[in-house]
Amino acid sequence: MTNDDGNFNKARRHFLRGLGMTAAVAAQPAWGGETLQDAFADFFQKDYRRMSTEEIEAALDRIERKAKNRYDVEIDCQNTPPQPGVVYGYAINISRCKGYRDCVHACVKENNLGRDSQMQYIRVLQLDQGDFNLEHSDHYYDPETVPVEGKHYLPVQCMQCDDPPCVKACPVEATWMEPDGIVVVDYDWCIGCRYCMAACPYWARHFNWTVPEIPAEEMNTNTHYLGNRPRPRGVVEKCHFCIHRTRKGQQPACMEACPTGSRIFGNLLDPDSEIRYVLANKQVFRLKEDLGTEPKFWYFSD
Amino acid sequence: MRMSRVNERAFGCNVAHPVSPSDVAGTRSVAARCLPLATLLFCTAMLSANAQESAEPTQALRFEGYPNAPQASVVPRKENLFFYPCDQCHATMEPNPDIRPLNAMHDSALEHGRGRIWCTSCHDLENRNFLRTFLNELVDIDEAYVVCGGCHANRHKDWIFGAHGKRVANWQGDRTLYNCTHCHNPHSPAIKPRAPKAAPPVRAGLTLERGTVHKKSHVWDSEEEHAKQ
Repeated sequence: MTNDDGNFNKARRHFLRGLGMTAAVAAQPAWGGETLQDAFADFFQKDYRRMSTEEIEAALDRIERKAKNRYDVEIDCQNTPPQPGVVYGYAINISRCKGYRDCVHACVKENNLGRDSQMQYIRVLQLDQGDFNLEHSDHYYDPETVPVEGKHYLPVQCMQCDDPPCVKACPVEATWMEPDGIVVVDYDWCIGCRYCMAACPYWARHFNWTVPEIPAEEMNTNTHYLGNRPRPRGVVEKCHFCIHRTRKGQQPACMEACPTGSRIFGNLLDPDSEIRYVLANKQVFRLKEDLGTEPKFWYFSD
Repeated sequence: MRMSRVNERAFGCNVAHPVSPSDVAGTRSVAARCLPLATLLFCTAMLSANAQESAEPTQALRFEGYPNAPQASVVPRKENLFFYPCDQCHATMEPNPDIRPLNAMHDSALEHGRGRIWCTSCHDLENRNFLRTFLNELVDIDEAYVVCGGCHANRHKDWIFGAHGKRVANWQGDRTLYNCTHCHNPHSPAIKPRAPKAAPPVRAGLTLERGTVHKKSHVWDSEEEHAKQ
C-alpha cells in the first residue's frame, strides 16, 4: 500500500508539474507575440463572407495588434464595403506607356509588399514593336533610358476577370469576386495550395514565400482586410485595384504614380465615366480574350 | 481694357479663374472654355439652330464645348513658373515680331512645330503675360489648353473626356485635370526619355536568360530535333 501511495503521489506530482508548466507557457507572450486569446481567435476565425459584423470588427482589431507586434506600427485596418452601382474597369494606353516602372514601385509601397521579396503585382513587359507574342516579352529590361528605340511596353497586372478562372480553381473558396468586380483573397482563409496561380492565364497571382519585411517608416497604415493589410507568409496575393483607395473614390496607386497618364480607371456602369469614353471611342483590346475570362482590363492606343 | 476681356470672355461661364490649388476644385467648366477650331464651326451651327427655336439671340453665339462633356477644373500653373509675370522683363523691351535666332534666358530652342510656328503664334505680342488664340483672343497662362486645342483638336477632346492627360487624385467626385503644359513643355512638347525604375529581382535560384526563345517541342519531332532543343 505504501508503495502504491508513493507511485500515486509521484504521478500526481508529475501531472501537476506539467499542468503548471502549460499554464506558465500560456501566460507568457508566446504564440508569435500574440496572446493565447488572439491565437485561439485566429485559429477559429471564419471565412470573411461568413463572419458577422462583430466578428469582422474583432478580426480587424487582431490584425492591427499583430501589425503592432510585428512591425511596431499603428495601422488602420478597415472594411470599407463596395459602393452600390459601381463596377471597376481599367484601361491602359499602350502608345503612351514608356516603361518607366513608376507604377510598379508605387504599388510595392502602397500595398506593403516585402521589400526583399520577389513579389510585384505589376509587370511591365517590353516587346519588339510589331510583336505581340507575350512569350517574347522581357520584364527585366534595364536600359539607361526608356523607351528603347524599336520597343513597346505593356503593363500586366490582375485583369479582374468577370468570369475568373482562379476563383473556380480555389478548393476552399478563399477567393471570390466582390460586387464591385474586384477579385479578392481572404489571406487568413487561403491554404496556399497555389491552384489559382496555375489557373490564372495572366500570371497575375503571386505566392508569398516570406514574411514581408517592411521598414516601419515605409509601412502604409491605410489598409483594408481584403487588400493591403500585412499578410502572412505562404498565401497567394494579387492586385486588388487598391481596394482601400478606390472604394473611397481615390485612384489606384499605380494610376496616380503614372507620369504619362496612360492609366484610366473608373466605373463601368457610369455612362459618363472616362473609362466608358475610352471603350466607346478607342480601339480597345484585352489580353487572351479568346479564353473567355472577360477581363475588366483593356488596352488601347491612339 | 483688353485684360478685363479675359475674364469676361464668356464661353458659357463667368466664374473667375482659380488662383491657388485650394480653389482648383471650383465649378468652372473646362469643356465650356475649349476652342478647337474644327468643332467650333460644327457646334456654333448646332447652337444657332437651337437658339432660333427658343428665343432671339441677343449676343453672338460662342462655342460652348463638347456635348455631354464632363465638368472639370484645371490645376493652375502660374505659381510654378519661374519667369512669370513675363512683363517683369518685357515691359522694358520693345516688341519684335521678326523671326530671328533666339538667345533668350529661357527655352531658346523652339522645337515645337518644327519651324512652322513662331513665339507669337501662341504668345500675345503686346500683352506679354497672356497667350493668344488664332481668333486673336487673349488667354490666361493657366488656360493654355485653350491655345493647345486650336491645333490639337483631337487630343484636346480626348483630354476633356479623360482619354488623354491625367486626372488628379480621384476617380469619383470633383474632377481636376492637369493642364497640357503640366506634362508637355510647350516649347519642346515631346516627352524626353528617362531612366526606368529598378528592374524586378530575379527569383532566388534562377538566373536571367535574355533572348531565349523556347521552341515548342512536339511528339512527332525526330530525336535529332529534340536534341537540338
